[in-house]
Amino acid sequence: MYKIDADFVEAVSHSDEFNANACMHCGNCTASCPMGLELLPRKLFRYVVVGLEKMVVENAETIYSCLLCKMCEESCPADVHIAGNVKKLRNYINTKYYKL
Amino acid sequence: MSKERRIGVYVCYCGGNISDYVDVEAVRDALENEDGVVVAKTHMFTCSDASQQLMIDEIGEENLDGIVVASCSPKLHLHTFREMAKRAGLNEYTYSQVNIREQDSWTHRHDVEAATEKAIRLVRGGVAKTKLTAPLKNIRIETKPRVLIVGAGAAGLRASLVLADMGLTVYLLEKEDEPGGWVKKWGKMFPNNKRGDESIAKLVAKIRTSESITLYTNARLIEKSGSLGDFEVKIEVKGETIPLNVGAIIVTTGFKPYELAQDEFGHGLNGVITLPEYKEILFASGEDKLIHNGKPVKSVTFVHCVGSRQRQEDYDKPNLYCSRYCCTASIHSGLTTRGIDPSIHQYHLFRDIRSYGRYELLYEEARNGGSLFLRYDPDSPPIFEQAKNGRVRIQVKDQLTGNEELELETDLVVLATGMVPRENDELNNVLKLPIGLDGFYNEIHPKLRPVETVVDGVFIAGTSQGPKNLAESVSSALASVSKSGGLLMKGYVDLEPFVAIVDADKCTWCGKCEEICPYGAIEKITAEDGSKEIALITKAVCKGGGTCVPVCPEGAIDIEGYTNEQITSLIDAMIKEVV
Repeated sequence: MYKIDADFVEAVSHSDEFNANACMHCGNCTASCPMGLELLPRKLFRYVVVGLEKMVVENAETIYSCLLCKMCEESCPADVHIAGNVKKLRNYINTKYYKL
Repeated sequence: MSKERRIGVYVCYCGGNISDYVDVEAVRDALENEDGVVVAKTHMFTCSDASQQLMIDEIGEENLDGIVVASCSPKLHLHTFREMAKRAGLNEYTYSQVNIREQDSWTHRHDVEAATEKAIRLVRGGVAKTKLTAPLKNIRIETKPRVLIVGAGAAGLRASLVLADMGLTVYLLEKEDEPGGWVKKWGKMFPNNKRGDESIAKLVAKIRTSESITLYTNARLIEKSGSLGDFEVKIEVKGETIPLNVGAIIVTTGFKPYELAQDEFGHGLNGVITLPEYKEILFASGEDKLIHNGKPVKSVTFVHCVGSRQRQEDYDKPNLYCSRYCCTASIHSGLTTRGIDPSIHQYHLFRDIRSYGRYELLYEEARNGGSLFLRYDPDSPPIFEQAKNGRVRIQVKDQLTGNEELELETDLVVLATGMVPRENDELNNVLKLPIGLDGFYNEIHPKLRPVETVVDGVFIAGTSQGPKNLAESVSSALASVSKSGGLLMKGYVDLEPFVAIVDADKCTWCGKCEEICPYGAIEKITAEDGSKEIALITKAVCKGGGTCVPVCPEGAIDIEGYTNEQITSLIDAMIKEVV
């Protein structure tokens, strides 16, 4: 059971740099990922949209494994800025958890 | 029949459709010597203009008094050949069509011999029936240029105004104190934010100044007799009975919101309200902060599919249908909420979003604006409980996060209740309208005849017929206007003469026919010589369904065009040589 954290949603999901609301969960990003990342972009972003900060932080390693190659972005039919979103998440974790 | 009949028989090749599987010439040969048959011919395409002209010429030259065309289904060319008969100076009802394509050649492609024999027997039957035809006349009804509309909601109001514009007189009935239905209680509505109360006020103001529209409030329809184009109705207005004479009736009695059981989707908890109630709060708060129970609202959770798309396994009498308006109305209410206070957190618990067509843009706007959409599975619906701080705590399994169990707290839960049919027992009894399994009124055909009912001259529109949004409701109201207006503006209507007739000599009035007639077309009268009571059939109401024929113990009822004698001789002709 996870509690939806409205503040986290506000801080990340509603910022201009992050945009995953258009995601329709088609899975094209997963299919085209050359790294075969364990946590799929659509699922990761869903955690963000829903405000599950804990789940996002737990998956920090996956977030940092992304090559930012934008293969997923190329094949996204909903124009989600996947690489940009990943960068925004890294930025959030860097600042809040790694105090960089 | 005393007079020898002169029948023409035409057997069609249908360009191979029939002749590939039926020996058409053999059929012609077999029919040529049939009693009463004067002409027997074949045509490659009987329906072609050239063939029709040949037949018309022959009808005149040979002085034919009945024709049989053995070709396709009457659904395709019955009227073609009836019109041909008329052009040849023949009564159109002395024409019979025999179907040897759909019911023979196309069905028995593997056996030409049997198909040919079947064709012969079918055509013989047609000839036997045609020999007993009488020249029949259409039933003409002079229509009255007045319409009764039951229910003065948005649909009824809009329909009244357009009928009045067409020059017809309208009697508009409303059972409440005021016209306007549900819409007058609502503020901004999708898609263009026009306010419901203002739209209704405009319509009502026009109606009150129209000379052709009489609005009766606190009114009920209590009696209806007569038929299409000429109904006698009685209405009761505040204890007073008023008789009216109208040509058509439009039923726009609307819906009622789904009523929740205790505990259903948290119903009964403090802070759990329905969408109509929420719309009233939005309406009352204007452009100011949103207040509920004296406290400012910080978060709202909309729950979709409440009372709609219910499953057989969950409810005794489930509403299986989608109510069409709730997804978009919830999303739009969310956007209105954001317009009042953008800091309010919004959650939508949904099963599937059906914001179809252009309303999809509202859904997109809501998502991009930060409303959170969580998809629940009806197998494990959300759980609601009162939190200690007075808010509502919701546990929901979000399918889009891989069935992660999520918990959220919210100030307000808004249940998007669906539409259910009204209980109009009295009206249903008076009008005898067919009611579908879902409890809404049934049209004849959902696509092709969407506002007509099996009761001729009685139309249905708006949400009395099933869930609709306001735009769809008004569209169907205007469709009912065009159907009723089209009927009444012409001044008369012609009906096919295939109705029941009573043999006054045989009838002893037992009342069995009156009991079984689903259309209420039969009543008791005193015979002309005053000796006894007999049944009278109102031709305009009778549909020729024939349920009265077999129940009559005296065999006193016949259907014109399908008399007992005709049907018996048709069967005899078909089974000739067999029994």
